[in-house]
Amino acid sequence: MSLIRCDKLCKSFAGTPVLKDVDLCVQGGEIVVLTGRSGSGKSTLLRCLNALDVPDSGTLEIAGHKLGRGQRSRQALRRETGMVFQQFKLFPQMTARDNVMLGPRKVLGLSRKESQAVADRLLRRVGLETESGKLPAELSGGQQQRVAIARALAVNPRIMLFDEPTSALDPELRGEVLRVMQDLAEDGMTMLVVTHELRFAEKVGTRLLFLDQGRILHDGEPSRLLREPPSERLRSFIGSIYSD
Amino acid sequence: MDFRWQVVWDAIPQMVEGAQLTAWITLLGIGGGLLIGTICGLILAFRLPLMHWLVFVYVSVIRGTPIVVQAMFIYFALPLALDITLSGFAAASLCLALNAGAYISEIARGSVLSVDPGLTDAGLALGLSYPQVLLHVVGPLALRRSIPPLGNQFIISLKDSALFLVIGVAELAQKGEQLTAQTGRALEIWTAVAVFYLLMTFSLAMLMRLLERRLTIL
Repeated sequence: MSLIRCDKLCKSFAGTPVLKDVDLCVQGGEIVVLTGRSGSGKSTLLRCLNALDVPDSGTLEIAGHKLGRGQRSRQALRRETGMVFQQFKLFPQMTARDNVMLGPRKVLGLSRKESQAVADRLLRRVGLETESGKLPAELSGGQQQRVAIARALAVNPRIMLFDEPTSALDPELRGEVLRVMQDLAEDGMTMLVVTHELRFAEKVGTRLLFLDQGRILHDGEPSRLLREPPSERLRSFIGSIYSD
Repeated sequence: MDFRWQVVWDAIPQMVEGAQLTAWITLLGIGGGLLIGTICGLILAFRLPLMHWLVFVYVSVIRGTPIVVQAMFIYFALPLALDITLSGFAAASLCLALNAGAYISEIARGSVLSVDPGLTDAGLALGLSYPQVLLHVVGPLALRRSIPPLGNQFIISLKDSALFLVIGVAELAQKGEQLTAQTGRALEIWTAVAVFYLLMTFSLAMLMRLLERRLTIL
């Protein structure tokens, strides 16, 4: 059974179409990298998958849960997915540990003690066990993003969605976040990653989607697509990334 | 200039009485105002259908009319219109609560809207419901941001309570008027009244500072 299945997904903002009839099927364990120019719809597609943006039409099914009307079905979808944002979006009034504990406490309904155990285990996993008492503002960008990954993992999602997780980071901080993501991939997590890190796509990704003007233009094996781009659009996109 | 300290000393017991009443009216006024303002502010921030028009009308009426007129209306006109008679103290507290509530609803609305919508996304993405996001993420942040403007409003409310002398409530300013009439010493009495108000507003301001320091604004 596929974990993600969407059919003819459409989404416009203020009359401007952003996604046009997107069909996508993702199996468990796949590491799908989504790339494309800004405005191509890759972030919107990701945000539709956990109903942060609600599609105008089309059908969507995540781990057996169909997206319907109403908040309940959206919440069901979101419980199966974890999301990591470009700007981290940690809750600024909470320590790293409290950020990670909120999901287990309020979504899974675990006790304080159990939630603490979950948070400590996950913070250790992302290498931040010594920083757990700090507020987000006291952490570096890379550390904040690793806390954000731990926070998303804490509710046991079956799919992790990454929306440009390294775009707001200095080059030397990107590596620590990408390493955590690679570990996660090696543990068998199903992941969708919006990124311009084509090296990551080639090394870790099992599948590359190239979006162009709201459509999936290419869908294939990362190294093959990147080495022999089948279209001029992809070729020039790759060129523009490696030129900087 | 002839300043008679004896007049001030003699007036102190009565002034303390007036100040106590002022404090009670203010306390009830800002307590009620906080309750009304928080509910109305959330209705405005989330644009709840229909209700947000009602709140809009309420805020417009209160902000658009002088508080003296509101006090007169509640104390003198309400008994005629609806056969509701309130004591001066009740009318004053209700009037202050309704008045502060209108301004506080705008403070609450602004504070809620100033919280990064990305944090709401992050909360929802975790699987929290909307009310949970409000309670655990947006609310605590909005509360911190509302402290400075709330402090402003509390002080304004305390000072506004002075005009309830028009409906005969024996609060501090009314006491000032009585004492002036009794003693004929306007200089001493009004200086003392001003100092009383200053002490009260200053304590309120310090209290808000303390709260602000406890809850760092983020």
